[in-house]
Amino acid sequence: MAKLLLYLTLATSLIPLFSVAFSPENPTDRRVLVLVDDFAIKSSHSLYFGSLTSRGFQLEFKLADDPNIGLQRYGQYLYDALVLFCPSVERFGGSIDVASIVDFVDSGHDLIVAADSNASDLIREVATECGVDFDEDPAAMVIDHINYAVSNFDGDHTLIASDDFIKADVILGSKKIEAPVLFQGIGHSLNPANSLVLKVLSASSSAYSANPKSKLSNPPSLTGSAISLVSVVQARNNARILITGSLSMFSNRSGVQKAGSSIKHEKSGNEQFLTEISKWVFHERGHLKAVNVRHHKVGESDEPAIYRINDDLEYSVEIYEWSGTSWEPYVSDDVQVQFYMMSPYVLKTLSTDQKGHYSAEFKVPDVYGVFQFKVEYQRLGYTSLSLSKQIPVRPYRHNEYERFLPAAYPYYGSAFSMMAGFFIFTIVHLYSK
Amino acid sequence: MYQRERERERERDYREEMARSTGKDAQALFHSLRSAYAATPTTLKIIDLYMGFAVFTALIQVVYMAIVGSFPFNSFLSGVLSCVGTAILAVCLRIQVNKDNKEFKDLPPERAFADFVLCNLVLHLVIMNFLG
Repeated sequence: MAKLLLYLTLATSLIPLFSVAFSPENPTDRRVLVLVDDFAIKSSHSLYFGSLTSRGFQLEFKLADDPNIGLQRYGQYLYDALVLFCPSVERFGGSIDVASIVDFVDSGHDLIVAADSNASDLIREVATECGVDFDEDPAAMVIDHINYAVSNFDGDHTLIASDDFIKADVILGSKKIEAPVLFQGIGHSLNPANSLVLKVLSASSSAYSANPKSKLSNPPSLTGSAISLVSVVQARNNARILITGSLSMFSNRSGVQKAGSSIKHEKSGNEQFLTEISKWVFHERGHLKAVNVRHHKVGESDEPAIYRINDDLEYSVEIYEWSGTSWEPYVSDDVQVQFYMMSPYVLKTLSTDQKGHYSAEFKVPDVYGVFQFKVEYQRLGYTSLSLSKQIPVRPYRHNEYERFLPAAYPYYGSAFSMMAGFFIFTIVHLYSK
Repeated sequence: MYQRERERERERDYREEMARSTGKDAQALFHSLRSAYAATPTTLKIIDLYMGFAVFTALIQVVYMAIVGSFPFNSFLSGVLSCVGTAILAVCLRIQVNKDNKEFKDLPPERAFADFVLCNLVLHLVIMNFLG
């Protein structure tokens, strides 16, 4: 009995060491909760889920109104990411609701939301909290009479083929997506004043959002490329959210042929597009960390507590990018450091040695006070870096000024020449007859 | 008619003569000053030379400051005041040493020279302090 207890305590104490979860050292999400309307999605979307599990994610499938689900227990989050594939849910079960989902994202975790035609108000509310507005008409779908996908079933052109991707290698990978992406669902619009949302896949300029079954009585409110089919949000705490209006985009689909073009693609671009974008959403790409901020006077190596005006100093930082499995050096030529006190006195671009080490040398300005070394780095698709280190700057001590001023040499000369003249004059005056 | 012409001619002649005479007067004055100065004793002429050197140095410094600006203003003041102070002390020595000066008839020239030296020492001490 005692031995059993011993083994039990040993086993339970070792469990935390075995869980490889989301942490600053390993930013890729691991445990993902997938909420679905019914478990048939597991088979109809098996390709997508298969690609996730093959990359090492632990997916947990639960019904959206399952009364036992919860995101956190005793203050700790049980999952690193949440996937909502339940567009018609009216109320979440267990302890999940819109507020808890917003808290989940606010604590830095990632979210994927997929709506569909006739999406419930709850899913629309979740999307609105994230900064994306779906079309208010519940029966509206995105229709495109020019860029629809040629198919045997759909005759009302709601299955559209879109290839209007955002130009960002970080989000969509470096390989170009050749085939268009199939989409059938509702569209959303983004607030242009919101700087955190990005349109990853937008509808073409001939698309509009309307009810396909009824006649159009007044012009649709969402038209053209203002309609976004897939959007991402990168919050200020670097949580990433993917919002799309078509759950069937994730399903197993085969070839696609865009109307008006004669190219018939064997495979649609959905698989590549969704794989690459979920790599980005789950922090396998585009996640930066900055470590080892150091500054010192040129020629010395230790960090002083105070600088003097007109000192030469050197600032260095190391930036790494997470590649999915390890930290690789991040190489870029546009990282800048500011020497800031109410406004940047010095703004310098850091030079890199291609191995992730960035450094810059500059002269402390002729102003004393308390400055900060600030690095503010925000690039499309990358996590934002915001480093700041405070350092005071003092003026000259009384014995650090120049001793003899070159501008005053004539005055020094005249004073000494007067003394010499006085001396010569006294000799001449005394010894002349 | 003729009378007025003759009046104008007379006026013109009168003015020319006045101009010539003022010119001649100025020249005569200048000559008398030079000959009188040549008669001063050599001692006084040496003091005058010394004073001229001091004033010249002061003028150079003022022109330099006008060009470059008054940045080390204390140095400028110190330089100019050393020249001006030297000139003033030289003037005082000249007054006291001049034998034609009835006010200082009873003052021995050695005493005047000793005062001059002491005052110059104090002047140069102050100047070196203020020069920076």
